[in-house]
Amino acid sequence: MAFSKEAYRELEDIVGERHISNDPAFLDSYAFQWLAELVRPNFSHYMPRPVAVIMPACTEEVQRIIKLCNKYRVKAKPISTGWYHWAAPLKEDEETLQIDLRRMNRILEIDERNRYAVVEPYVICAQLQAEVMKLGLNINIIGAGASTSIVASACAYAGMGPSSFWMGNNSDNLLGMEWVTPEGEIIRTGSLGSGNGWFCGEGPGPSVRGICRGWVGSRGGLGVYTKCAIKLAHWPGPTEYQVKGTLPGYRLPIQENFRVYTLAAPTWDAWADIYYKIYDNEIGYIFHRQYALAGADLGPALWLTYIDPEKTLNDVEEAVKRKDIQDLTEELRISFQFIMAGRSIREIELQDKILDQILKETGGWKVQRYCEKDMAEFTNTYMQRLGHKHMNFVWVGGYLGSWMQTGTPDWVKGYVPVAIKGLYRDAAGGNLVQCGGDALMGNGSSIAGGGNMGLEQFVSYDPADNASVAAGTQHMRDAIVDAVANGFPPGKEAMYLQVGESDEQIWNALRRTPQPLAFHFQRKIKEAFDPNNVGDRMYATLPSEGKP
Amino acid sequence: MDNKKEQLADIVGSRFVSDDPAVLDTYARDNSFVLPLKPWFVAQPGSVDEVQKLVAWANHSSTPLIPVSSGPPHFHGDTVPSAPGAVIVELSRMNRVLRIDRRNRMTWIEPGVTYGRLQPELVKEGLRLTTPLMPRPNKSVIASLLERQPTLIARYHYSFTEPLRSCGVVWGTGEMMYTGEAGSGPLSLEAQWSMGARHSDPKGPGATDYVRLLTGAQGSMGIVTWASVRCELIPAMRKLFFVPATTPESLIDFMHRLLRVRLGDEVILVNNTQLAYMLAHQADKVAALTKSLPPWLLIIGIGGRALFPEERVDEQQQDLVELAQTYGVRLASGIHGATTNEVYDLLLAPSREPYWKLSYKGACEQIFFLSTLDKSREFIDTVYHTARIHNYPESEIGVYIQPQHQGVAHHCEFNLPYDPRDFNEVSNIKQLFSKASEALVSGGAYFSRPYGIWADMMYSRDAQSTSALRKVKRIFDPNNVMNPGKLCF
Repeated sequence: MAFSKEAYRELEDIVGERHISNDPAFLDSYAFQWLAELVRPNFSHYMPRPVAVIMPACTEEVQRIIKLCNKYRVKAKPISTGWYHWAAPLKEDEETLQIDLRRMNRILEIDERNRYAVVEPYVICAQLQAEVMKLGLNINIIGAGASTSIVASACAYAGMGPSSFWMGNNSDNLLGMEWVTPEGEIIRTGSLGSGNGWFCGEGPGPSVRGICRGWVGSRGGLGVYTKCAIKLAHWPGPTEYQVKGTLPGYRLPIQENFRVYTLAAPTWDAWADIYYKIYDNEIGYIFHRQYALAGADLGPALWLTYIDPEKTLNDVEEAVKRKDIQDLTEELRISFQFIMAGRSIREIELQDKILDQILKETGGWKVQRYCEKDMAEFTNTYMQRLGHKHMNFVWVGGYLGSWMQTGTPDWVKGYVPVAIKGLYRDAAGGNLVQCGGDALMGNGSSIAGGGNMGLEQFVSYDPADNASVAAGTQHMRDAIVDAVANGFPPGKEAMYLQVGESDEQIWNALRRTPQPLAFHFQRKIKEAFDPNNVGDRMYATLPSEGKP
Repeated sequence: MDNKKEQLADIVGSRFVSDDPAVLDTYARDNSFVLPLKPWFVAQPGSVDEVQKLVAWANHSSTPLIPVSSGPPHFHGDTVPSAPGAVIVELSRMNRVLRIDRRNRMTWIEPGVTYGRLQPELVKEGLRLTTPLMPRPNKSVIASLLERQPTLIARYHYSFTEPLRSCGVVWGTGEMMYTGEAGSGPLSLEAQWSMGARHSDPKGPGATDYVRLLTGAQGSMGIVTWASVRCELIPAMRKLFFVPATTPESLIDFMHRLLRVRLGDEVILVNNTQLAYMLAHQADKVAALTKSLPPWLLIIGIGGRALFPEERVDEQQQDLVELAQTYGVRLASGIHGATTNEVYDLLLAPSREPYWKLSYKGACEQIFFLSTLDKSREFIDTVYHTARIHNYPESEIGVYIQPQHQGVAHHCEFNLPYDPRDFNEVSNIKQLFSKASEALVSGGAYFSRPYGIWADMMYSRDAQSTSALRKVKRIFDPNNVMNPGKLCF
């Protein structure tokens, strides 16, 4: 059944005429998505246009909208803060209603004693962090930054960030959640469903959240998450940011019970040794390899220019030529950012002593220039808040991520040289930014407590230059070949590319995975919870192929 | 039946199939009040292949399978068949510690590996598991983790599945898969190890968290054939502290703070009766011991691991002292009635034999659920009130509160010993158990692990989740051969 005027009117009845639109100008603003040009025909910046966009204000409205999508056989694609091209409709021939959740933007509850907050989908990390910090609490902000939806990262996507080492992945932190299934049923998980509050997301018996919140969530492909409770962590810092400095190089003064370091290692083996010793000694509050995103060859010149209020980015080229910057560039080859927070002064002093001993035993060091006040305070702002997401796009306006397979540090260090060599090779053609083969950024841990992490290769390309876009796409294909040839599974780039592939191509890829059974089970789950196929293929499935 | 016995023998070998009435009787009932029902056979598979064949056979012959991996005594009715003609799948032969990886602090174990068996193996590598409180030595580690039994160190309890990570599972369909990080590799642990995979991420594969569909399932989804489990370093130095109190509510603010700043390893709250049950080797010592102990006791263990362990302990001790002063609670390094070492031994080792919960009167009914800490007093009052109505002495109720999920949730447990030979006492405790459970559920207690009568109480409160779980069950066990009659299946 085609999306009709009647369907539009029924949707309008739910939210009112102000909150629904089929104006092409509006619709194209939803189709215009980061990464689209890498996978769309003719390098288009646009994903398929939705048939309409609707903005519900509450769970009940979402439920009624989803039921209408079932009635009219229209795909339902929720978006909150968005990130990645898969937030948009995926196929030209699939009529898709974009459900924009921006009106559901309330922090519903902060329970300080029991350490959780209940939020709607358009509450962003920065918003909640500012509120909970007033109470001496904090949240894990995911790598995609402070402007992202907490509900999205906890329920629907990956959930890892620089603070996951100490605070946990947002999957770990997810408590009760409210889920409008693709059929329009409202499921409340764990203690919430039994009317006992938000504090537990498990059971009774097996946990319903297991249906849809795996390594990644369903990415908008299996209903809409309308609320969730998130576990909060202790924040031993000030109740308000006393930010200083000049835009964009904001600085957060470092409290007496904090330490902000950039650490470096002589080899990747030594880097892994440092990691394991940090892991065993349970020190650190934020653990992240951030500054490499600008590329190992140009990064130091960029960052020191960036924080200098008298410089602009036009000065980077000159900075690169300076001897001190060149020396620093070499010193920072294998480095990462590490922030420690003590519950007391004596505890931070002990953490410091332990870290010094670790560096002594492994041959690592503190990178002095990055530990000086200006850069350390900048690092403190950047890492605590993750508010500089624009820096991903700094070189020429576009970037993509490749690699990012997660595993133990020993395993990750195995793909680092392959990733570095591959980017040098692909950038040598001149159509990708040549900032150094190592633009590998990543969290100290992708799960709570550490021991599992990944590094993502940040590849900068010019989205306005078709040759550069084509080089970006080719790099992703190359990265898959490189990974497989060296015994690693495909990385994040495979997820990007699949958005532009046909169903058959995706199925073939899923069939080649070591355990395709997982995607057969996901088909059965989809059939059970989405009989009218209202969700899109972001919840990946394999066709039955004669199997029951 | 004879035909079935032969078929089972073909799968696991005739030595490992039993229909001895005495053996079957041990599985027909447990220490709970669920209705007794004798299984037809006990089969003991020795390999994943045999498990897979058993499940395929069960689907073909419509035979209920009841997975059991721990030794007796059992307490919750989950291993007692609810359907006639059942086969107990007894997994104690699959008892290998497959690997211990010190650097990544992971171990891989089969379902028959018990706490009594695993901890000494881990000690050789300087590792240990965070355990439940005084588990039976013959308690299967995997069964304990799958059933989300509370563990003692809340700050390591990053989520409710901790420290369970990846699993190998034979679903009720008979299909085998690996979950979590192991789901991204081939169906061979050796092959995955050789590729460097260490299975520390529990999620997935893909957009489904398969392990979460296995947890709390009482064996109703499939049979787990191995699991990877995260370990902790053994502290090189440790100290134990006690905070005595006359009421539990006077400790709540202090506990909230302690858990929030993640100070301490073991953090548990018990009443004097509970600690007496834990300490007393002989029943006649319990009363005197209870009297000598403070009414309520918060037990806090601190440890120093890896580098500078003494300084780590010292730093924590000083912070703990300051925190206690701030909250006006008394911190003691010892208590009347027990030495510090005696208490530490309880926390670090499996239970003595016979199992400590049975040593006072021979049987013990347990009521446990999850709550936030600030509501625990209400629930304690509910249980005491119901006990008074049933003339059960309040002084014999052991209360144990265990912070979970880094202190966001709390396991509240009530232990009510009784004499199983005294018909009147049994009848009374049965009524008390039922009435107290109803009152607790009405009052907001969350029975996240709904055994026996709790299942109906919980699932009747949440129709949507119940419906969703039934859909899941039809996918992973379409013929309902896995422990039918439990939960909402």
